[in-house]
Amino acid sequence: MAALIRVDVYSSVRGVASRSRRRGEEIVSSLTESLRQVMAVDGVRGAALIDIATGMVVAAAGGQAEDFPAAAAGLADEARMTRALLGPGRPGGQLEEVSVFTKGRLHLAKVLDSRLGDGVLLFIDLDRARGNMALASLRAAQLAPAILA
Amino acid sequence: MTVTSDDGSVGPLREALGVCAAAGMSGALRVTGRPGGAIHFADGQVVAIETPGAPSPEVLLLRSHRVTESDWDAAFAAAAVAGRPMSTELVARQLMGAGELEILLRTAVADAIFVLASGTVEEYRAEPGQLEFVLPLQPGAETDWLLAEASRRIRVLATLPHQDRVVAASAMSADSVRLGDGQDEILALADGRRTTRDIAFALGRGVYATTLALARLRAAGQLVTASSRAPGPAQGQPAQEQPVRPALPRRQPEPARQERRHRLPSRTPDLRAPLSLLRPRSGRDPGS
Repeated sequence: MAALIRVDVYSSVRGVASRSRRRGEEIVSSLTESLRQVMAVDGVRGAALIDIATGMVVAAAGGQAEDFPAAAAGLADEARMTRALLGPGRPGGQLEEVSVFTKGRLHLAKVLDSRLGDGVLLFIDLDRARGNMALASLRAAQLAPAILA
Repeated sequence: MTVTSDDGSVGPLREALGVCAAAGMSGALRVTGRPGGAIHFADGQVVAIETPGAPSPEVLLLRSHRVTESDWDAAFAAAAVAGRPMSTELVARQLMGAGELEILLRTAVADAIFVLASGTVEEYRAEPGQLEFVLPLQPGAETDWLLAEASRRIRVLATLPHQDRVVAASAMSADSVRLGDGQDEILALADGRRTTRDIAFALGRGVYATTLALARLRAAGQLVTASSRAPGPAQGQPAQEQPVRPALPRRQPEPARQERRHRLPSRTPDLRAPLSLLRPRSGRDPGS
Protein backbone atom coordinates (compact mmCIF):
# COMPACT_ATOMS: atom_id res chain seq x y z
CA MET A 1 0.00 0.00 0.00
CA ALA A 2 2.72 2.40 1.02
CA ALA A 3 4.66 1.60 -2.12
CA LEU A 4 1.67 2.35 -4.31
CA ILE A 5 1.18 5.76 -2.72
CA ARG A 6 4.83 6.55 -3.23
CA VAL A 7 4.74 5.75 -6.94
CA ASP A 8 1.57 7.74 -7.34
CA VAL A 9 3.06 10.83 -5.72
CA TYR A 10 6.32 10.59 -7.61
CA SER A 11 4.62 10.24 -10.95
CA SER A 12 2.70 13.42 -10.30
CA VAL A 13 5.47 15.70 -9.09
CA ARG A 14 7.93 16.07 -11.96
CA GLY A 15 10.25 17.96 -9.69
CA VAL A 16 7.74 20.61 -8.70
CA ALA A 17 8.49 21.11 -5.05
CA SER A 18 5.19 22.57 -3.98
CA ARG A 19 3.25 19.73 -5.52
CA SER A 20 5.53 17.08 -4.09
CA ARG A 21 3.10 16.23 -1.31
CA ARG A 22 -0.61 15.92 -1.43
CA ARG A 23 -2.80 16.56 1.54
CA GLY A 24 -3.13 13.44 3.63
CA GLU A 25 -0.35 11.63 1.78
CA GLU A 26 3.29 11.55 2.71
CA ILE A 27 6.24 10.78 0.53
CA VAL A 28 7.96 7.98 2.37
CA SER A 29 11.52 8.72 3.35
CA SER A 30 13.74 5.93 2.09
CA LEU A 31 15.92 6.30 5.22
CA THR A 32 12.98 6.20 7.63
CA GLU A 33 11.74 3.10 5.88
CA SER A 34 15.14 1.42 6.29
CA LEU A 35 15.34 2.32 9.97
CA ARG A 36 11.89 0.86 10.49
CA GLN A 37 13.23 -2.49 9.35
CA VAL A 38 16.16 -2.21 11.75
CA MET A 39 13.71 -1.44 14.56
CA ALA A 40 11.95 -4.73 13.83
CA VAL A 41 15.04 -6.69 14.96
CA ASP A 42 14.56 -8.25 18.41
CA GLY A 43 15.79 -6.10 21.28
CA VAL A 44 16.40 -2.93 19.26
CA ARG A 45 15.33 0.13 21.25
CA GLY A 46 16.42 2.80 18.82
CA ALA A 47 18.25 3.26 15.53
CA ALA A 48 19.78 6.25 13.78
CA LEU A 49 21.91 7.25 10.83
CA ILE A 50 24.77 9.59 11.68
CA ASP A 51 26.89 11.49 9.16
CA ILE A 52 30.50 11.00 10.24
CA ALA A 53 31.89 14.21 8.70
CA THR A 54 29.46 16.51 10.54
CA GLY A 55 28.20 14.34 13.42
CA MET A 56 24.67 15.11 12.28
CA VAL A 57 21.77 12.73 12.94
CA VAL A 58 20.41 12.30 9.43
CA ALA A 59 17.48 10.10 10.43
CA ALA A 60 16.34 8.42 13.62
CA ALA A 61 13.74 5.92 14.78
CA GLY A 62 12.63 4.68 18.18
CA GLY A 63 13.17 6.42 21.49
CA GLN A 64 16.15 8.73 21.79
CA ALA A 65 17.29 10.79 24.73
CA GLU A 66 17.00 14.56 24.45
CA ASP A 67 20.76 14.96 24.23
CA PHE A 68 21.07 12.34 21.50
CA PRO A 69 22.32 14.80 18.83
CA ALA A 70 25.33 15.62 21.02
CA ALA A 71 25.93 11.94 21.80
CA ALA A 72 25.69 11.10 18.10
CA ALA A 73 28.30 13.72 17.25
CA GLY A 74 30.53 12.16 19.91
CA LEU A 75 30.03 8.77 18.32
CA ALA A 76 31.06 10.18 14.94
CA ASP A 77 34.21 11.59 16.57
CA GLU A 78 34.89 8.21 18.09
CA ALA A 79 34.58 6.51 14.71
CA ARG A 80 37.02 8.98 13.19
CA MET A 81 39.53 8.54 15.99
CA THR A 82 39.21 4.78 15.77
CA ARG A 83 39.94 5.03 12.07
CA ALA A 84 43.07 7.01 12.84
CA LEU A 85 44.16 4.24 15.23
CA LEU A 86 43.99 1.73 12.40
CA GLY A 87 47.09 3.35 10.97
CA PRO A 88 48.20 4.57 7.57
CA GLY A 89 46.92 2.43 4.75
CA ARG A 90 44.78 0.45 7.22
CA PRO A 91 46.70 -2.83 6.92
CA GLY A 92 44.00 -4.59 8.93
CA GLY A 93 41.21 -3.30 6.70
CA GLN A 94 38.70 -0.49 6.97
CA LEU A 95 36.70 0.25 10.11
CA GLU A 96 33.49 -1.74 10.00
CA GLU A 97 31.88 -1.37 13.37
CA VAL A 98 32.28 0.22 16.79
CA SER A 99 30.61 -1.66 19.65
CA VAL A 100 30.05 -0.42 23.16
CA PHE A 101 28.91 -2.83 25.85
CA THR A 102 27.38 -1.93 29.18
CA LYS A 103 25.66 -4.26 31.64
CA GLY A 104 22.25 -3.63 30.16
CA ARG A 105 22.91 -2.28 26.70
CA LEU A 106 24.78 -2.80 23.52
CA HIS A 107 25.47 0.08 21.17
CA LEU A 108 26.46 -0.87 17.67
CA ALA A 109 27.72 1.67 15.16
CA LYS A 110 28.16 0.09 11.78
CA VAL A 111 29.99 2.04 9.10
CA LEU A 112 28.05 2.38 5.86
CA ASP A 113 30.50 3.18 3.14
CA SER A 114 29.08 6.09 1.31
CA ARG A 115 31.38 7.41 -1.38
CA LEU A 116 30.38 10.88 -0.25
CA GLY A 117 32.06 12.54 2.71
CA ASP A 118 33.45 10.32 5.43
CA GLY A 119 30.67 7.76 5.44
CA VAL A 120 27.60 7.19 7.57
CA LEU A 121 27.10 5.28 10.83
CA LEU A 122 24.13 3.02 11.38
CA PHE A 123 23.68 3.32 15.14
CA ILE A 124 21.67 0.68 16.97
CA ASP A 125 20.73 0.81 20.62
CA LEU A 126 20.10 -2.75 21.79
CA ASP A 127 18.68 -4.12 25.02
CA ARG A 128 21.03 -6.90 26.11
CA ALA A 129 18.33 -8.65 28.09
CA ARG A 130 15.97 -8.83 25.14
CA GLY A 131 18.27 -9.05 22.19
CA ASN A 132 20.73 -11.56 20.88
CA MET A 133 23.80 -9.46 20.16
CA ALA A 134 25.35 -11.70 17.56
CA LEU A 135 22.05 -12.00 15.76
CA ALA A 136 21.40 -8.26 15.91
CA SER A 137 24.84 -7.50 14.55
CA LEU A 138 24.36 -10.01 11.77
CA ARG A 139 20.93 -8.65 10.95
CA ALA A 140 22.28 -5.08 10.91
CA ALA A 141 25.00 -6.20 8.54
CA GLN A 142 22.36 -7.73 6.28
CA LEU A 143 20.21 -4.60 6.30
CA ALA A 144 23.09 -2.11 6.00
CA PRO A 145 23.76 -2.29 2.24
CA ALA A 146 20.11 -1.58 1.44
CA ILE A 147 20.10 1.63 3.47
CA LEU A 148 22.22 3.59 1.01
CA ALA A 149 20.80 1.82 -2.04
CA MET B 1 5.31 39.48 4.91
CA THR B 2 8.51 41.21 5.75
CA VAL B 3 10.48 40.57 8.88
CA THR B 4 13.56 42.63 9.36
CA SER B 5 16.47 42.01 11.62
CA ASP B 6 20.03 43.18 11.90
CA ASP B 7 21.01 40.26 14.09
CA GLY B 8 22.93 37.38 12.55
CA SER B 9 22.08 34.77 15.16
CA VAL B 10 19.73 31.84 14.72
CA GLY B 11 17.05 33.98 16.41
CA PRO B 12 15.61 35.96 13.50
CA LEU B 13 16.01 32.99 11.18
CA ARG B 14 14.03 30.93 13.67
CA GLU B 15 11.23 33.48 13.60
CA ALA B 16 10.97 33.58 9.81
CA LEU B 17 11.28 29.81 9.38
CA GLY B 18 8.71 29.31 12.11
CA VAL B 19 6.19 31.54 10.36
CA CYS B 20 6.64 29.73 7.03
CA ALA B 21 6.40 26.32 8.69
CA ALA B 22 3.32 27.23 10.72
CA ALA B 23 1.60 28.58 7.61
CA GLY B 24 2.43 25.38 5.73
CA MET B 25 3.87 27.60 3.04
CA SER B 26 4.88 26.43 -0.40
CA GLY B 27 7.28 28.91 -1.89
CA ALA B 28 10.49 30.75 -1.21
CA LEU B 29 11.73 32.58 1.86
CA ARG B 30 14.25 35.03 0.46
CA VAL B 31 16.92 36.12 2.89
CA THR B 32 19.05 39.15 2.19
CA GLY B 33 22.33 39.55 4.01
CA ARG B 34 25.64 37.78 3.92
CA PRO B 35 25.69 35.37 2.27
CA GLY B 36 21.91 35.46 1.88
CA GLY B 37 19.88 33.08 -0.21
CA ALA B 38 16.50 31.51 -0.76
CA ILE B 39 14.97 28.82 1.44
CA HIS B 40 12.38 26.87 -0.50
CA PHE B 41 9.38 25.32 1.22
CA ALA B 42 6.81 22.75 0.27
CA ASP B 43 3.87 22.51 2.67
CA GLY B 44 5.90 24.08 5.45
CA GLN B 45 8.96 21.87 5.05
CA VAL B 46 12.32 22.88 3.60
CA VAL B 47 13.02 21.15 0.31
CA ALA B 48 15.94 23.17 -1.07
CA ILE B 49 18.17 26.11 -0.23
CA GLU B 50 19.99 28.29 -2.71
CA THR B 51 22.85 30.33 -1.29
CA PRO B 52 26.26 31.35 -2.60
CA GLY B 53 27.60 30.47 0.86
CA ALA B 54 27.20 26.70 0.72
CA PRO B 55 27.64 24.08 -2.01
CA SER B 56 24.44 22.88 -3.68
CA PRO B 57 23.77 19.14 -4.07
CA GLU B 58 24.95 19.45 -7.67
CA VAL B 59 28.28 20.95 -6.56
CA LEU B 60 28.64 18.30 -3.84
CA LEU B 61 28.11 15.48 -6.33
CA LEU B 62 30.23 16.80 -9.18
CA ARG B 63 33.15 18.37 -7.34
CA SER B 64 33.58 15.31 -5.14
CA HIS B 65 33.56 13.25 -8.35
CA ARG B 66 30.84 11.11 -6.85
CA VAL B 67 29.03 11.56 -10.16
CA THR B 68 30.96 12.44 -13.29
CA GLU B 69 29.92 15.44 -15.33
CA SER B 70 29.14 13.33 -18.37
CA ASP B 71 26.92 11.00 -16.33
CA TRP B 72 25.22 14.02 -14.78
CA ASP B 73 24.62 15.68 -18.14
CA ALA B 74 23.25 12.47 -19.65
CA ALA B 75 20.90 11.95 -16.67
CA PHE B 76 19.81 15.58 -16.79
CA ALA B 77 18.98 15.41 -20.48
CA ALA B 78 17.12 12.12 -20.08
CA ALA B 79 15.14 13.45 -17.10
CA ALA B 80 14.14 16.52 -19.11
CA VAL B 81 13.03 14.44 -22.09
CA ALA B 82 11.14 11.90 -19.99
CA GLY B 83 9.69 14.63 -17.79
CA ARG B 84 10.68 12.85 -14.61
CA PRO B 85 12.62 14.05 -11.56
CA MET B 86 16.40 14.11 -11.62
CA SER B 87 16.47 12.09 -8.39
CA THR B 88 14.53 9.28 -10.07
CA GLU B 89 16.86 9.45 -13.06
CA LEU B 90 20.03 9.28 -10.94
CA VAL B 91 18.73 6.25 -9.05
CA ALA B 92 17.39 4.52 -12.18
CA ARG B 93 20.81 4.90 -13.82
CA GLN B 94 22.40 3.45 -10.70
CA LEU B 95 24.54 6.53 -10.32
CA MET B 96 23.33 6.81 -6.72
CA GLY B 97 21.20 4.92 -4.27
CA ALA B 98 17.94 6.49 -3.10
CA GLY B 99 19.14 6.40 0.53
CA GLU B 100 22.51 7.90 -0.30
CA LEU B 101 20.83 10.66 -2.31
CA GLU B 102 18.47 11.44 0.57
CA ILE B 103 21.44 11.67 2.95
CA LEU B 104 23.22 14.01 0.53
CA LEU B 105 20.18 16.28 0.16
CA ARG B 106 19.51 16.44 3.90
CA THR B 107 23.18 17.17 4.54
CA ALA B 108 23.18 19.93 1.92
CA VAL B 109 20.10 21.64 3.36
CA ALA B 110 21.49 21.43 6.91
CA ASP B 111 24.80 22.91 5.75
CA ALA B 112 23.07 25.78 3.99
CA ILE B 113 20.93 26.64 7.04
CA PHE B 114 24.07 26.57 9.17
CA VAL B 115 25.79 28.98 6.79
CA LEU B 116 22.80 31.33 6.70
CA ALA B 117 22.46 31.21 10.50
CA SER B 118 26.18 31.94 10.89
CA GLY B 119 26.13 34.88 8.51
CA THR B 120 24.30 38.16 8.74
CA VAL B 121 20.61 38.42 8.01
CA GLU B 122 19.14 41.76 7.00
CA GLU B 123 15.68 41.09 5.69
CA TYR B 124 13.27 38.29 4.93
CA ARG B 125 10.62 38.13 2.28
CA ALA B 126 8.27 35.22 1.75
CA GLU B 127 7.19 34.55 -1.82
CA PRO B 128 4.54 31.87 -2.01
CA GLY B 129 4.48 30.08 -5.33
CA GLN B 130 5.73 27.03 -7.09
CA LEU B 131 9.32 26.59 -8.13
CA GLU B 132 11.12 23.74 -9.78
CA PHE B 133 14.33 22.27 -8.50
CA VAL B 134 16.78 19.89 -9.96
CA LEU B 135 17.05 17.93 -6.72
CA PRO B 136 14.46 18.73 -4.05
CA LEU B 137 14.65 16.95 -0.70
CA GLN B 138 11.59 14.72 -0.43
CA PRO B 139 10.16 14.56 2.14
CA GLY B 140 11.40 18.00 3.19
CA ALA B 141 13.22 18.87 6.41
CA GLU B 142 11.38 20.17 9.47
CA THR B 143 12.44 23.72 10.34
CA ASP B 144 12.83 22.89 14.05
CA TRP B 145 15.24 20.10 13.22
CA LEU B 146 17.25 22.35 10.89
CA LEU B 147 17.52 25.13 13.48
CA ALA B 148 18.48 22.73 16.27
CA GLU B 149 21.23 21.30 14.06
CA ALA B 150 22.49 24.77 13.10
CA SER B 151 22.61 25.75 16.78
CA ARG B 152 24.51 22.58 17.65
CA ARG B 153 27.09 23.31 14.94
CA ILE B 154 27.53 26.91 16.06
CA ARG B 155 28.04 25.70 19.65
CA VAL B 156 30.60 23.11 18.54
CA LEU B 157 32.59 25.68 16.56
CA ALA B 158 32.54 28.09 19.51
CA THR B 159 34.71 25.56 21.37
CA LEU B 160 37.22 25.11 18.53
CA PRO B 161 39.89 27.53 17.45
CA HIS B 162 39.28 28.04 13.76
CA GLN B 163 40.16 30.59 11.18
CA ASP B 164 39.19 31.25 7.65
CA ARG B 165 42.66 31.32 6.14
CA VAL B 166 45.19 28.76 7.12
CA VAL B 167 48.23 27.31 5.46
CA ALA B 168 50.17 24.05 5.75
CA ALA B 169 52.57 24.22 8.70
CA SER B 170 55.48 23.48 6.41
CA ALA B 171 55.81 23.16 2.66
CA MET B 172 56.84 19.57 3.25
CA SER B 173 53.71 18.54 5.07
CA ALA B 174 51.53 19.53 2.16
CA ASP B 175 53.47 17.21 -0.10
CA SER B 176 54.59 14.29 1.97
CA VAL B 177 52.10 13.70 4.73
CA ARG B 178 49.49 11.08 4.05
CA LEU B 179 46.70 11.63 6.49
CA GLY B 180 43.89 9.87 4.68
CA ASP B 181 40.13 10.50 4.95
CA GLY B 182 40.28 13.43 2.56
CA GLN B 183 42.60 15.41 4.81
CA ASP B 184 45.40 15.41 2.24
CA GLU B 185 43.16 17.15 -0.27
CA ILE B 186 42.25 19.81 2.28
CA LEU B 187 45.85 20.31 3.28
CA ALA B 188 46.87 20.70 -0.36
CA LEU B 189 44.29 23.46 -0.89
CA ALA B 190 45.03 25.38 2.33
CA ASP B 191 47.33 28.02 0.91
CA GLY B 192 46.46 30.94 3.17
CA ARG B 193 44.42 32.58 0.43
CA ARG B 194 41.53 30.22 -0.01
CA THR B 195 38.73 30.57 2.49
CA THR B 196 36.97 27.66 4.14
CA ARG B 197 34.16 28.19 1.67
CA ASP B 198 36.57 28.13 -1.28
CA ILE B 199 37.95 24.77 -0.11
CA ALA B 200 34.47 23.35 0.53
CA PHE B 201 33.35 24.29 -3.00
CA ALA B 202 36.55 23.01 -4.58
CA LEU B 203 36.25 19.59 -2.93
CA GLY B 204 32.47 19.24 -2.97
CA ARG B 205 32.29 19.00 0.82
CA GLY B 206 30.01 20.83 3.21
CA VAL B 207 31.16 24.12 4.70
CA TYR B 208 30.70 22.84 8.26
CA ALA B 209 32.52 19.57 7.55
CA THR B 210 35.37 21.54 5.97
CA THR B 211 35.52 23.97 8.90
CA LEU B 212 35.77 21.03 11.32
CA ALA B 213 38.44 19.33 9.23
CA LEU B 214 40.51 22.54 9.06
CA ALA B 215 40.17 23.07 12.82
CA ARG B 216 41.34 19.51 13.49
CA LEU B 217 44.30 19.85 11.15
CA ARG B 218 45.18 23.08 12.89
CA ALA B 219 44.89 21.44 16.31
CA ALA B 220 47.17 18.66 15.05
CA GLY B 221 49.75 21.22 14.00
CA GLN B 222 49.36 20.47 10.29
CA LEU B 223 47.99 23.94 9.57
CA VAL B 224 48.92 27.32 10.93
CA THR B 225 47.58 30.84 10.65
CA ALA B 226 48.33 32.20 7.20
CA SER B 227 50.53 34.98 8.61
CA SER B 228 52.74 32.79 10.78
CA ARG B 229 54.42 30.93 7.92
CA ALA B 230 56.24 32.42 4.94
CA PRO B 231 55.04 36.02 4.70
CA GLY B 232 53.07 36.67 1.55
CA PRO B 233 52.83 40.03 -0.24
CA ALA B 234 52.87 43.04 2.06
CA GLN B 235 49.59 43.16 3.92
CA GLY B 236 47.73 46.29 4.86
CA GLN B 237 46.87 44.97 8.26
CA PRO B 238 48.36 42.41 10.56
CA ALA B 239 46.47 39.14 10.59
CA GLN B 240 44.07 38.98 13.45
CA GLU B 241 42.40 36.19 15.30
CA GLN B 242 38.89 35.86 14.00
CA PRO B 243 36.15 36.26 16.59
CA VAL B 244 34.74 32.95 17.70
CA ARG B 245 31.18 34.04 16.98
CA PRO B 246 29.66 34.20 14.44
CA ALA B 247 30.78 30.69 13.77
CA LEU B 248 31.71 31.16 10.15
CA PRO B 249 34.90 33.12 9.75
CA ARG B 250 34.62 35.81 7.16
CA ARG B 251 36.91 37.36 4.68
CA GLN B 252 39.54 39.68 5.97
CA PRO B 253 41.26 42.35 3.98
CA GLU B 254 43.79 40.42 1.99
CA PRO B 255 46.61 41.05 -0.39
CA ALA B 256 45.92 43.47 -3.20
CA ARG B 257 45.07 40.78 -5.74
CA GLN B 258 42.00 39.66 -3.85
CA GLU B 259 40.82 43.18 -3.16
CA ARG B 260 41.03 44.15 -6.79
CA ARG B 261 39.13 41.15 -7.92
CA HIS B 262 36.16 41.65 -5.65
CA ARG B 263 36.14 45.36 -4.98
CA LEU B 264 34.15 44.66 -1.89
CA PRO B 265 34.74 45.77 1.67
CA SER B 266 36.16 43.38 4.21
CA ARG B 267 33.84 40.84 5.79
CA THR B 268 32.02 40.49 2.49
CA PRO B 269 31.84 36.85 1.49
CA ASP B 270 32.83 35.67 -1.92
CA LEU B 271 29.85 36.23 -4.17
CA ARG B 272 30.94 34.20 -7.14
CA ALA B 273 27.96 32.15 -8.20
CA PRO B 274 28.28 28.47 -7.30
CA LEU B 275 27.28 27.66 -10.87
CA SER B 276 30.60 28.95 -12.08
CA LEU B 277 32.14 25.99 -10.30
CA LEU B 278 30.02 23.44 -12.04
CA ARG B 279 31.72 23.56 -15.37
CA PRO B 280 35.31 24.32 -14.54
CA ARG B 281 37.58 24.83 -17.48
CA SER B 282 41.08 23.62 -17.09
CA GLY B 283 43.35 26.41 -16.02
CA ARG B 284 40.47 28.50 -14.78
CA ASP B 285 39.46 26.26 -11.94
CA PRO B 286 38.99 28.52 -8.92
CA GLY B 287 39.62 25.53 -6.68
CA SER B 288 43.17 24.80 -7.78
